[in-house]
Amino acid sequence: MNEHAHRPVVELRKVSCAYEPGRPAIVDISLSVLEGEILCLLGPSGCGKTTTLRAIAGFERILSGELYLQGSLVSAPGTLVPAEHRRIGMVFQEYALFPHLRVSDNIGFGLQDIPTQERAGRIQAMLSMVGLIGLERRYPHELSGGQQQRVALARALVQNPVVLLLDEPFSNLDPDMAGKMRGDLHQLLRQTKTTAVLVTHDHEEAFAMADRIAVLNQGRLEQVATPESVYHTPASPFVADFVGQADFISGIVHNGSISTEIGMFPYADGYQDSAKVVVMIRPDDVHITPNEDGEARILARQFRGSENLYTIRLVSGQLIHSSESSTAMYPPGTPVEVSITATHTVLFEQGDPS
Amino acid sequence: MTGVRQLFLSPLSVFSGLVAGFILLPLAYIIGLAVASPLAVWSRLWQTRIPELLANTASLAIGVSAGTLLLGVSLAWIVVRYDFAGRRFWEWAIVLPLTIPTYVLAYIYTYLLGLGGPIERAWQMWAGPDVHVFSPYSYAGATLVMTLDTFPFVYLLTRAALLNFNVSFEEVARACGASRWGTLLRVTLPLIRPAIVAGLSLVILYVVSDFGAVSLLRYPTFTYAVYQQLTGRYDRAAAAVLSLLLVFFALIILITERWFRRRSRFYQTTGRYRIPERHACDPIGTAFITAYLGIVLAASFGVPALLLLTWTGAALTEGTIDSRFLGFVWNSTFLSGVAATVAVLIGTPLAYLATRRSSRLIPLFLQAAYAGYVLPGPVGALAILVLFSQLAPFWYGSVVVLIVAYVVHFLPAGLQTMEPALQQVTPNLEEAARSLGHGTRVVLTRITLPLVRGGFIVAWVLMFLQCMKELPATLLLRPVGFDTLAVRVWLEASEEYYKLAAPAALLIVAMTLPALFLLVSKDWRAA
Repeated sequence: MNEHAHRPVVELRKVSCAYEPGRPAIVDISLSVLEGEILCLLGPSGCGKTTTLRAIAGFERILSGELYLQGSLVSAPGTLVPAEHRRIGMVFQEYALFPHLRVSDNIGFGLQDIPTQERAGRIQAMLSMVGLIGLERRYPHELSGGQQQRVALARALVQNPVVLLLDEPFSNLDPDMAGKMRGDLHQLLRQTKTTAVLVTHDHEEAFAMADRIAVLNQGRLEQVATPESVYHTPASPFVADFVGQADFISGIVHNGSISTEIGMFPYADGYQDSAKVVVMIRPDDVHITPNEDGEARILARQFRGSENLYTIRLVSGQLIHSSESSTAMYPPGTPVEVSITATHTVLFEQGDPS
Repeated sequence: MTGVRQLFLSPLSVFSGLVAGFILLPLAYIIGLAVASPLAVWSRLWQTRIPELLANTASLAIGVSAGTLLLGVSLAWIVVRYDFAGRRFWEWAIVLPLTIPTYVLAYIYTYLLGLGGPIERAWQMWAGPDVHVFSPYSYAGATLVMTLDTFPFVYLLTRAALLNFNVSFEEVARACGASRWGTLLRVTLPLIRPAIVAGLSLVILYVVSDFGAVSLLRYPTFTYAVYQQLTGRYDRAAAAVLSLLLVFFALIILITERWFRRRSRFYQTTGRYRIPERHACDPIGTAFITAYLGIVLAASFGVPALLLLTWTGAALTEGTIDSRFLGFVWNSTFLSGVAATVAVLIGTPLAYLATRRSSRLIPLFLQAAYAGYVLPGPVGALAILVLFSQLAPFWYGSVVVLIVAYVVHFLPAGLQTMEPALQQVTPNLEEAARSLGHGTRVVLTRITLPLVRGGFIVAWVLMFLQCMKELPATLLLRPVGFDTLAVRVWLEASEEYYKLAAPAALLIVAMTLPALFLLVSKDWRAA
């Protein structure tokens, strides 16, 4: 790996966008995408993830801040390098395949200025790469959803874009197909060493695809980190809750650890003694054992195939969740003992909005 | 067992079959008459009239297509893609020319462009006394009038297509490196092409079947020639031959239109789409756009309407509007009212069966009913004239003939409105009512009728107003001395009595306004 391997391909410096004055869509977003990296913009609908993507593409003007592609300024207040000069590739949620063009003409749409011979060669290479050989004479309405997506992908990739932008690319596919396409896409992006920014509202999709995840909420960036860090050490209660099942129980800092109603948690760096905090726990960190003397009760069990998710009511009335093995089945009402097996503790100040 | 149902013909479907046959009869008769014509008639026509008529009709169709394409697409583009002061007004106002029948616009332009008319005088003041504008009685005149009268068809369909256009297509093209112009030419225009072609087909159908404008502007096309053969030479064989060619012409266009419409289905994106951003105009841009829109609307609607108002005012003060005029109004209203009512009554079973599709014959019946479409006014009139003179001579020359002609001619348009209204009443609804213990009669009065009433009223109004405007069939079939408003306009205008024609013309335009509103508001979406 050389020096350039990790320079940012896309860089946002305090970028804000607004559709209407006074109602910002994104606020002060700063992040960068490194070469060859797959970055996921994750968040609920209306969080500004698609706006961010469209700002990178050059379809949205920015209100403040600066946006760089490969080190050159492309968006700033009053400056907008048009999309056609940005060398980006874009895959839309509904694919937007040109219905009046055949598959091969769709893929070759952006290769106008290239000699016919070479263009045909590149289209052919792309077709084989995405597994569409034999379908080049079809029209988009004659293709299945998965095939349409491949065409959209091929059309974007054939131009060797500096960055590939994907807007919820799997949301129009049924779950089985989406899972398969996810794997294929990941492999393809790695194989072509493509830098990609992918928008999704599905944290599992983000975990499966991303090198790093940027979590957005109400137009603000909450956290940018690897999938593992986002899951295990979320930066905010919002992130903790959005990327998986999370329970928050209150505790008090005491001698460098936190005491809660289900026991002591270690590590309380940076907190004053007797400060009130909230501890985040994930169901896989909570273990239950049936015990006649246990004060907690099983409220409900949800069978999920590979696990059983139990809802437990603690003495205080607080609800927490526990993930047990698929075969560990206890009826509701069973008194249980709760133990925690966390290797680290995630703390938030009490009163943090979640 | 669907097979059993298909064999079973209810009284309703027998009735529908009869109606369909009745409507098909004129068309069949024309074809028979033309085919049975002596070869001498064919060869004489081929050597004398047909080449000229073909060239005239085709060149008029091409000229008007070019004009409406330019006007219709540019106006739709401006209204959908730009934002400027008064956009909402213009968006709606541009369809107003549809209220002016071609013969009214033609008559206005014979005055405007005529020798010593206002345009020529203005032009002479500027360029000297010896210059002349082009005569309205020419190819240019006919093209201008027909273009100004029909461009809203292209405008409406293009506008609808642009409003439904998914802007992602354009964005993807931009992301692929295509410029603004490249995107327009390679993506946007090809994608709305089916809508544009459908609009143009309507325009061409209108042009080739128009009688009013070409007769007043004395520009010989097929319709005009059929009329001349019937009235001047009383040559039914020749008229039938020319009619057959005209029907053939119209059929080709109608099939083209249907084909393109079906194609456009693939072009529509399902699911979500975003409306493109409007380009906000600065004051200069707004001025240019408003000037363009203003000129087009003034030429096609504003000036004609103003002239009609002024002349009608003059006629009022001069006392030209007398009891005779009221008689014409009554004739028109009575005829149209009866014809529209009969058409709704006859059309109901057809439309009902069409929505139920209980038999394979029904779609056939329906297609037959639409045959009226490909029978341009004079042709349909010719067929009914001959049919009645042979089958029911005692009715010949009575109002009955006229009503039959109207029903045959305008039922297709009515069916198009009635069919969707009935489609809202799914068999499930009726079955649900029956499962709740109500009989057929209750279902009809409490479920079906309330649901379809609106659609049927619209159909009635549309057919009524079409009948009010109808000219060629009325001219040919009316009882002696029985004039309608449309006939009066045409007769006075032929003699260049501009002021005398105005009140009747104004009344027709004014009455057509609500119909236009109905027609447009059905699927109008503010852009």
